[in-house]
Amino acid sequence: MLIELEGVTKIYNQGQINEVVALRDIDLRIKEHTLNCLRGASGCGKSTLLSIIGCVIQPTSGRTAIAGLQPARMPDRFLTVHRRRCIGFIFQNYNILPALTVRENITLPLVPLGLSRRAMAERVERLLQQFSIGHRGNFPAGRISGGELQRVAIARALVNDPPPSSWQTNPRPISTAV
Amino acid sequence: MNGGLTKHLNIIDYTLSSLWRRRARNASVLIVFAGVIFLVASFQFVTEALTETALDSLRTAPEITIQRLSAGRQTEVPLDYGEQVASIHGVREVVPRIWGYYFDEVTGANLTVIGVDLERMPLGEKLNLTLAEGEVPEPGASGWVLVGRSIKRIVESKGTAYLSLFRPDLSQASYAITGVFDAVTDVLTNDLIVMDIGDARDLFHISPAAATDLCVYVANLEEVPNIARKIAAALPDARVLTRSQISQTYQVVFGWRSGFASVCLLTALAAFVIFAWDKASGLSPEERREITILKILGWETSDILAVRFWEGALVAGGAFIAGCTGAYIHVAYFDASLFRSVMVGWSVIHPSLRLVPSLQVSTLLLIFCFTVLPYMAATVIPAWRSAIVPTDSALSGM
Repeated sequence: MLIELEGVTKIYNQGQINEVVALRDIDLRIKEHTLNCLRGASGCGKSTLLSIIGCVIQPTSGRTAIAGLQPARMPDRFLTVHRRRCIGFIFQNYNILPALTVRENITLPLVPLGLSRRAMAERVERLLQQFSIGHRGNFPAGRISGGELQRVAIARALVNDPPPSSWQTNPRPISTAV
Repeated sequence: MNGGLTKHLNIIDYTLSSLWRRRARNASVLIVFAGVIFLVASFQFVTEALTETALDSLRTAPEITIQRLSAGRQTEVPLDYGEQVASIHGVREVVPRIWGYYFDEVTGANLTVIGVDLERMPLGEKLNLTLAEGEVPEPGASGWVLVGRSIKRIVESKGTAYLSLFRPDLSQASYAITGVFDAVTDVLTNDLIVMDIGDARDLFHISPAAATDLCVYVANLEEVPNIARKIAAALPDARVLTRSQISQTYQVVFGWRSGFASVCLLTALAAFVIFAWDKASGLSPEERREITILKILGWETSDILAVRFWEGALVAGGAFIAGCTGAYIHVAYFDASLFRSVMVGWSVIHPSLRLVPSLQVSTLLLIFCFTVLPYMAATVIPAWRSAIVPTDSALSGM
């Protein structure tokens, strides 16, 4: 199982006057190589759930296992490494850095991986072609259209594909739309 | 290539592109910072150059100088004091000297007049080495003067080769200029007139049996402090000055001037650090957002700090190199023209000496600690504070 959640609850501002229960006692299981879509009314907790799956936030209670690891038991530093290796993010508003070029934005998750310039360039180029935004590679991200921005965000989410040698031990990255 | 090394090279790449993106802001910070470092470094270099120049000039000075005090003020020394001093074991020679000041009403300058006894002065021949033109006359000659370069210019502007001075009774005495001191010694010799001791006595109306001070030359330099103590004991009304004490006085004088100026500059430096701190600690929403996105994309806190560190190091390092290089050029090639009046002028005639700053590691380290380190702290600490915020808290603030 790629993602397992058991009895996950998330309460924001717990014990305060503005306490919000975003998730209550959620169980969820997602297998590898499947495409899943989460639907729900506005404010029902979809983003919170995806943020928990993406190891960005921790649940208030419950057990999570993401790609074989239990984030609740990991310090922030290891969570960062886990996110870097296994998870790709597409934010609701994309969170693309407008001052950087399209190519630089897609390269961002690769910078701390210790890959050579050539390896990074190859991966980024492949994704630029795959998403038909190669002609926008050197454009500042703040000056491209909304549709292109969306493709940049998807490309950035997929660029941290683990190297083939570690596919045996590491699962493929999870793309999370937050 | 090693993965860790490649990662750092990638981070430096990112830093360079980040610096380039904010090039207008970074360039303005670099220019202002380089200016502050230029001012601080210039004062340090000038102080060292002046002290070195003054100490160089003192190498031919006597090991011990004796003056007589009366009512706490300097007065004439009877020559028989010299006989007492000469009897102290280890004293090689005692030579009387006249050291006085001549106020020139035309220029408003207070010129220093030194009368020397060339026949008895053991280092008399070394005076030649301090001259840029002319030479020291044979011992026993009179009516000659050696002058600093400014005095030579004043005399030349009057269209004469003779220096005319007035005795206390307003009678005139004229001297032939036989030598001009080298520019290297300008800090001490610019307003100096050296003449025969007999002529100096005549100029100031000093008795032939007295001098303003006695120069004591010692055989063994290690014995200077002991001999100075013995002289002080033998002549209770005398002030005994060793060469090292005079050197220390020069260092204190220049150090005081430099310190005063540095305190003024520290205000500018402090203002800059506060500005940098304010600028850096008040990370713009865009910068905070960038840090949060980088963390979510898998950048560790240390990676973000490395980016900020390299940004700070490149800006501060560039400013440090530019500031120090500018200060060196300012002092060595433009003779510290911005600070001359503060640092070298205790005479109306300002010396036009050539300064050669001696680059010492300790000085550079001092400047580095006072300038670069505070800036680095002002750059890295706020970024660290922003980067250690847990990702979920940072995300909720976006």
